[in-house]
Amino acid sequence: MTAAARNGRPQRVARPLFTPGILTLMIFMGIGFSFGITRFLLGLGSVTNLNDRNPWGIWIAFDVACGVALAAGGFTTAALVEIFGRRRYKPLLRPALLTAFLGYLWVAVALIFDLGRYWNVWRPIFNWQGNSVLFEVGMCVVFYLLVLAVEISPSILEGLKSRIDRGERGAALLRRVERPILAVHAWARTVMPLFVAAGVVLSFMHQSSLGTLMLIAPTKLSPLWHTPVLPVLFLLSAIMVGFPMVIVESIYAGISLGRRPEMELLTPLARIIPALLGCYGIVKIGDLAVRYGDLDFYSHPAATVSLAVEILLGVALPFLLLLHKAVRRSVGWLFFSVSLIVFGVILNRINVYLVGYNPPYSTRAYFPSVGEIALTIAIVSGLLFCYRLFVTFFPILPGTEPAAEARPALEHPEPGRAVGPSWVWIVRGSAAAILAVFIAVYSLVHTQAIRATARMVSQVERVRAQARAPAASAPSAAYPLRPSAYRNFYWLDSPLLRAASDDYEPVAFAHRIHDNLTGGDCAVCHHRHAASDGDRVGEDIGNLHALMDIKLGGPCATCHGDMAQNPPQACAHCHGLPNEDDAPSRIGLKGAYHRQCIGCHQRRIVPAPAPTECNSCHHPWTPDHSLLVTLPAKPAPQDVTRNCLGCHPKAGHDVLKSAHWNWKGHSRTLAGNEHRTDIGLSMVLSNYCIAMGPNLQQCSSCHIGYGELGAAFDFDDPQRIDCLVCHDTTGTYKKDPDQAGLPYAELDLNAIARKVGRPSRSNCGSCHFASGGAANAKHGDLEPELAHAAESLDVHMGTLHMRCQDCHTTAEHRIAGASLSAPAVEGRVACEKCHGSAPHGVSGMLSRHLDDHVRAIACETCHIPSYARLSPTLLRRDYSAAGQDRAAGANRFGRPEYDKRFGTLTWGKDLVPVYLWYDGTRRAVLAGDAVDPSSPVVLNGPVGEKRNPAARIFPFKAHTAVQPYDSERKVLALPRLVEGYWTHFDWGKAIAEGMKLMGLEYSGKYGFIETTMYSGIHHTVTAADKALGCADCHAPQAVSCTRCHKNARQMDLPRHRLAAYPGVKRRLDFKALGYADDPALIGGRFYVSLGRGTPPR
Amino acid sequence: MKLSRRALLGSGLSLAAGRKAAGRSREQEQQSFTSPDHVGVLVDTTLCIGCRKCEEACNRRNRLPRTAEPFSDKNVFNYFRRPSANAFTVVNRFEGSPSADQEGIAHTYVKVQCMHCLYPSCVSACIVGALTKADDGAVVYNPSICIGCRYCQISCPFEIPAYEFHVALTPRVRKCEFCSDPARGKGADPACAAACPTEALVFGRRADLVAMAKERIKRRPERYVDRIYGETEVGGTSWLYLIGRPVEEIGLLELPDIPPPQRTEAIQHGIFNYGIIPIAFYGLLSGLLWYQKRKYPEEPPDADGSKDDPSADGGAP
Repeated sequence: MTAAARNGRPQRVARPLFTPGILTLMIFMGIGFSFGITRFLLGLGSVTNLNDRNPWGIWIAFDVACGVALAAGGFTTAALVEIFGRRRYKPLLRPALLTAFLGYLWVAVALIFDLGRYWNVWRPIFNWQGNSVLFEVGMCVVFYLLVLAVEISPSILEGLKSRIDRGERGAALLRRVERPILAVHAWARTVMPLFVAAGVVLSFMHQSSLGTLMLIAPTKLSPLWHTPVLPVLFLLSAIMVGFPMVIVESIYAGISLGRRPEMELLTPLARIIPALLGCYGIVKIGDLAVRYGDLDFYSHPAATVSLAVEILLGVALPFLLLLHKAVRRSVGWLFFSVSLIVFGVILNRINVYLVGYNPPYSTRAYFPSVGEIALTIAIVSGLLFCYRLFVTFFPILPGTEPAAEARPALEHPEPGRAVGPSWVWIVRGSAAAILAVFIAVYSLVHTQAIRATARMVSQVERVRAQARAPAASAPSAAYPLRPSAYRNFYWLDSPLLRAASDDYEPVAFAHRIHDNLTGGDCAVCHHRHAASDGDRVGEDIGNLHALMDIKLGGPCATCHGDMAQNPPQACAHCHGLPNEDDAPSRIGLKGAYHRQCIGCHQRRIVPAPAPTECNSCHHPWTPDHSLLVTLPAKPAPQDVTRNCLGCHPKAGHDVLKSAHWNWKGHSRTLAGNEHRTDIGLSMVLSNYCIAMGPNLQQCSSCHIGYGELGAAFDFDDPQRIDCLVCHDTTGTYKKDPDQAGLPYAELDLNAIARKVGRPSRSNCGSCHFASGGAANAKHGDLEPELAHAAESLDVHMGTLHMRCQDCHTTAEHRIAGASLSAPAVEGRVACEKCHGSAPHGVSGMLSRHLDDHVRAIACETCHIPSYARLSPTLLRRDYSAAGQDRAAGANRFGRPEYDKRFGTLTWGKDLVPVYLWYDGTRRAVLAGDAVDPSSPVVLNGPVGEKRNPAARIFPFKAHTAVQPYDSERKVLALPRLVEGYWTHFDWGKAIAEGMKLMGLEYSGKYGFIETTMYSGIHHTVTAADKALGCADCHAPQAVSCTRCHKNARQMDLPRHRLAAYPGVKRRLDFKALGYADDPALIGGRFYVSLGRGTPPR
Repeated sequence: MKLSRRALLGSGLSLAAGRKAAGRSREQEQQSFTSPDHVGVLVDTTLCIGCRKCEEACNRRNRLPRTAEPFSDKNVFNYFRRPSANAFTVVNRFEGSPSADQEGIAHTYVKVQCMHCLYPSCVSACIVGALTKADDGAVVYNPSICIGCRYCQISCPFEIPAYEFHVALTPRVRKCEFCSDPARGKGADPACAAACPTEALVFGRRADLVAMAKERIKRRPERYVDRIYGETEVGGTSWLYLIGRPVEEIGLLELPDIPPPQRTEAIQHGIFNYGIIPIAFYGLLSGLLWYQKRKYPEEPPDADGSKDDPSADGGAP
């Protein structure tokens, strides 16, 4: 029996293939490969736990690295049998080779799953990269797979031959290729020794390189494993695990196939193992001992434990066990010992590739996902399944049944039967040549790679030689795409210099405000001063003043007066070009501006905190919409809106909630109605066209929507929004007053829509300048000339070219600003937001006196000395005189003095405002409110009085009118004018129609009542030198400096003291405002006595 | 060959002698891998204000996907970010002022992106040469030959290459390529540096930038740590950092000066160059084999076992 087993030639296993075990394997494969298919369909991330920190998981660490290591049984057994001539182990060779072959095959399969671009897997064959260790591994694996295929081929060919001989299934087909089978078999057996040697060399190469692979990451791989001898360790451990793997597999296969383990071979084989273990152990321990000082055993305890397990359980314990003869002879103990070695090597590979791989930025340790584990199990199952298939169909395992030896000749053709003796050397030579070509190619690859590295050095030499040559080429010539204006650097384009190409508009820098905010200290920004024009470095301002014993920080103007001498130099004087030879650290203009600005803006400055967001200083450019807008040839207005909403759905959503759309909103400044949100424009009365409610068709032409604002108007339909009225930049878009919000039909909406942008003053003005029916008729301070304002008209729009929304800050299409006549308020505008509460600077001697005014007097009061300076505005109308066929009679401004529709009209130009206390809230008469006809009715007016500390004196325009009212019910009438009074000129009919439309009762009797309407004067702010002087409001004797500054005879400030507008008498009526007398004489409302100094601010 | 052997010896010795030795031998072993053609960017961390304009510029130039939140959103600073497949550069915020002389500034901002090493690990590691170093120093990627092995990610000491793990068929390695495209003759032209409003990023030739950085350190010794991060780390990088705080505090890594691929390449080329060692080994094995064949000529398989005397512990039980 024993002899039969020992002498058994390789035979096929004659057992049923589909046992429960095999079926289990197939289930495992089914589960695993379904994960694999998911990976192909959805990507690696869908199945694995891999991420950028841990790009390699168990598919590489276990399937590939361990797979290759555990397939080492093939080359070690081949070397033992063929090279070292231990022929008696030959029965173990074929199973070992088969295991190796299948191992590498499944490594390749696993790799296909793991590679991101698996369809490119053939690339390394043509794209050589000899520096890459992975390339070396890959190529060796491919070639070794070929070598293994040759080594395993005799078994397969013999299996086919026996199939022919026994006349089994497929024999008829195989018989046709019987001769080639025999020929290849003979060839393979002839060249086998060459391939055996090649297999060993290739294995040595890639087994060690798998260790070199991780040497490239010294900062990531724990020093417990990162060592220059890692390739040696990998090679030694592969050699070490070869025979244990053969033993494990032999015992396992024997048991599972119901065969007796070939202990008579395994026991002597096991004797070799301790020596190999010892070799590995010595190098491993020795390496750790040499590097002991560098090892950190405590920071990653798990890694330390893992290393200890790997050495103690995987090397030391089996070493001690296998020294005992009893262990080697006992099937169980031998299996246990060699399993420990296999486990140790697996753990080693996982340690090197996963446990010891700790990238510094990793936040979460890698652990394989279910999919990764399932596919790994499937790969192992696949390997076992293939092994079972092979041993079933081909003679791999040594035969056990004597009957099988009956026909040896059939399965072992004589060597050289197809290849004659004279051909033997030719065949061997050709095989050797193939191998030689491989090695030659391989070394060529390496040589190439070395040259590539060396090319860098030669390149340095080449450029150095160029530099040494007198006519060295300009450095920028090599990079034609870069600006060559700078000698040493390829510079960044400053957005301030090339604004058009950047994302933001340039900043309009308000120098005077910043001058005030720095306390007049110019040196905050102008930190150096150049003596001459050519000097681009200059001297530090601080140093210059230190020479004169002057401390910086105060108002520079104290000494420098008008700055005519030694004016501060512009930033661009030095920072025009950055980083030149004279000052290599000097930054460009863009950087200089930003660093100076941001440095201050990040600190919180009182009283006006500086904005810190980019877009609070820079306005983003609107992208060119000419390519973005896609409209039909002749678009309807709503087609444009639809197109806008396609990209800006949120903007549409926002507009639907805005006051400009709804014409109503939270009326938080309306006294008595602070919490209401339902008061709309239709409930408000004015004394211009009296009421909007009955006249919606005409009024709708100023609504930012398409369609009449009647009950039928859908306020929830974003497609009705008129985007263009605000965002047109061509200036051609106009609404047709008779078409209820729709534009003129002949407009080229396509061209307009392609040029949309941020709203300009003209856009806002298209409605707001024209309110009241004519230019500036209603507001008085919203003159059409503001669209292109000169500095004399408005300092913000004229000099800084500010847009409306710079002050009327806008967010989500809600626009800040509170009017006295419109109920909805979406935020307030205040000069103090930019100018702070002490805006008059520190440099002038009057600053403090002027700043004292801020708490009682609004900025506009002094800085808007008159309104309607260019366009006349309406002051009064008398509806009681309407309906007569009188001549219009143009007045001196060219405006009509009579209109049949409106009655008599009074116009004014360059007017002095009315000054009233205003605390930010207002009172108004709403539709249906009772009025007292005995005195003029104030339709809307500011709330405030002297005793109210929140109130300040503001300028207002007052518009008076005589307008109809229900004389019985004592409510103001809401007549229908358009298609009403203006056609039939019958007040009674018009009022009846209008009141009915508004759902109000009307007694049928009407009279006329005197009304006043106020509107705030906030625009057309003049420059500081055109503002009011002291004597404009105060009595001349009150503003004498020497009244308080007794001995300051030099202190004469004629410009401020004198009245700037001497023609205007009694501009401020102090008595009417609640003061007993001129507050300059008797003291202001917060303090009474003068002469003891003003209270601290 | 000569070079690699020396390098192999050097690196092996220094490794064996431990990491401390690497620091000591910095002066002697430091090789320069830079050429006058190399460009770079100098990042002055004391000037960065965290505006994220560089991220925005990068996103646009590289046509990366739109981000969930706008680039003005400062909430991203609440967590530590790393470059990803959809963001080649990110700015991180760290508590504390950027340098000792900048009191009152609460945060330090540090931009990270591919450092464009002078001796890049990823280029050495790439199995097919999909990653290459252009003449001006940019490390660029060619997806058409990439096989997706992700060894570049393993090798990069700065952990920069990101991978499109959720792309099924054509995942790419994504990283900063210096906004260059050498295949089309377009050199490095970083959008981030052009967008930086404070010139915290300065793009220029590397040699000039090193000089400039040294000049800045000389002028403001109280502000800067006396080193240029990237001048010598892993053999030097194209991107250089001026820092006002220790590197560990601001999310940068303390790295050895020896380029990691120098070791692996030395091992590879030392062993395999011209195939000398494998050929010699093959010859040795063939000789042994031939000797065995001569000593024990091919016999009928039946005689295999009986010829060999069972060794001491072999034999029949």
